[in-house]
Amino acid sequence: MTSALRRVGLRAVALTYLSAILLGPLALVFYRTFENGVGAAWDALSTPETVNAFKLTLIITAIAVPLNTIFGIACALAIVRRRFPGKGLVNAFVDLPLALSPVVVGLSLFLLYGRDGWFGWLDENGIQVLFSLPAMVIATIFVSLPFVAREVVPTLREIGDEQEQAARTLGAGSWPTFWRITLPAIRWAVIYGVILTTARCLGEYGAVAVVSGRLQGETETATLRVEERYESFDLAGAYAISIVLALIAVLVLVAMTAIRPKEEAA
Amino acid sequence: MSIVATGISKRFGDFVALDDVSLEVRRGSLTALLGPSGSGKSTLLRVIAGLEAPDSGEIVISGEDATELAPQKRGVGFVFQHYAAFKHMTVRNNIAFGLTIRKRPKAEIRERVDRLLELVQLQQFADRYPAQLSGGQRQRMALARALAVEPEVLLLDEPFGALDARVRAELRAWLRRLHDEVHVTTVFVTHDQEEAMEVADQIAVMNKGRIEQVGGPRDLYEEPATEFVMSFIGPTTRVGDGWVRPHDLVLLLDPADGTTEAMIERVVHLGFEVRVELLCADGEKMWAQLTRDRCEELELAQGQIVYVRAAEERVFA
Repeated sequence: MTSALRRVGLRAVALTYLSAILLGPLALVFYRTFENGVGAAWDALSTPETVNAFKLTLIITAIAVPLNTIFGIACALAIVRRRFPGKGLVNAFVDLPLALSPVVVGLSLFLLYGRDGWFGWLDENGIQVLFSLPAMVIATIFVSLPFVAREVVPTLREIGDEQEQAARTLGAGSWPTFWRITLPAIRWAVIYGVILTTARCLGEYGAVAVVSGRLQGETETATLRVEERYESFDLAGAYAISIVLALIAVLVLVAMTAIRPKEEAA
Repeated sequence: MSIVATGISKRFGDFVALDDVSLEVRRGSLTALLGPSGSGKSTLLRVIAGLEAPDSGEIVISGEDATELAPQKRGVGFVFQHYAAFKHMTVRNNIAFGLTIRKRPKAEIRERVDRLLELVQLQQFADRYPAQLSGGQRQRMALARALAVEPEVLLLDEPFGALDARVRAELRAWLRRLHDEVHVTTVFVTHDQEEAMEVADQIAVMNKGRIEQVGGPRDLYEEPATEFVMSFIGPTTRVGDGWVRPHDLVLLLDPADGTTEAMIERVVHLGFEVRVELLCADGEKMWAQLTRDRCEELELAQGQIVYVRAAEERVFA
């Protein structure tokens, strides 16, 4: 086989695989959503419960993403730039949410904040954590924790600390050094991490499902709403919500491609 | 004195980088820290800058105890071997960095940066990014950046180490001229004895975390205190228990008082200089450095027997 043929063959395999696994099902969802016209899809989307579900998803994302961004950068700086006892452990713990099933995360929160848990006293004092926003935010933060740190760590290693040292000798304290030197140098890694975190927050299902209580119109996020609609045999509704979620994901992907660094340095 | 380092020690794990080192640097001088890799010269420079904390000892800069001072408060300019250019900033903003941090008025910054750009001959590159500059240009930018804040002392860590030989020689001469113009107390680290001899007024020769000798280039060459200094600065050849500069070996065609018989193994013509490799009667090898004229006068050839005497031999305890 010539190399050209082999290349075409390889491409065909890759594309077929992608279509079968990813594009096909997505296209089908798209088709089903608009099967009965745009009006039907709009009706399904504009019910108060669905609107509330999207609102909730966005609120959770808006809280979890900034917090995890700050934590992720701080954590990456500690892992790469500092020497402290237990550093290896911290490094491993950051990855824990990737290894742990979200359902397990949800269950552990349930145990922690439930009546008999360590933080059960919160509930007794009138601060409701479970079956309300706080628990859902905590669960989402937990599952989307590693992305920023994982993106930033290798970039920090690669740029080294000479630029930071140079800034120090030029009179910059640690805070100006971070804002003017470190952050601009890792900005693409941070942005990439933020996008991955956002995607993860929007799509979170398992952990939130366990701790939310799934009260319609109250503690139901968009993904939970999809499941609920599906189980109530409202397939059109389930498809419509799915398609909006998918569209947000595509938007995020497009944004990611658009702002990718334009190879400014050699 | 501009810099006084006293009893500095620094370990990295089991490795002793600096072992009770003391050094004084005169105001306005250009001092080289010279030594092989691992001799502790870069560590000493970084300790002076505050980028590394010593395990013991103290650093005084311009009469003020700086041992506990953070690097940004020491009034030092530091130039790194690999430039440490701020990649996301233009050349102008790189040079202005220290002034911007100090919140100087815009007009003053602009004027000062313009002067520095001229000093390092980068006027036409002011709006480029470091990635668009050559190594030599980047290092000149780094120098201007360090000079912008008018440091008490300028510290350069192998500043020309990453450049090719020609640019290196150019920058070396340029640094010497710059120092004569700006007069800032300068300490630079190098492993290249020629570079140290050419540029510095004072050289501190370092080996295994200690300073072996401090002196002017000529003192070190002519009055080396230790075997290490003698062999590190300039060529040497062994004669019996002592060391001789190869140009201090005198070759005679006839035996005389204190001469040793030797056979010429090889004659290497290097232009003005001729290197004669010798095999002594007792099996020891040495080499002599002659001028071309002297070699022609003696009509030296391979296989010939000559008589060797050391004009100036040194034996170190």
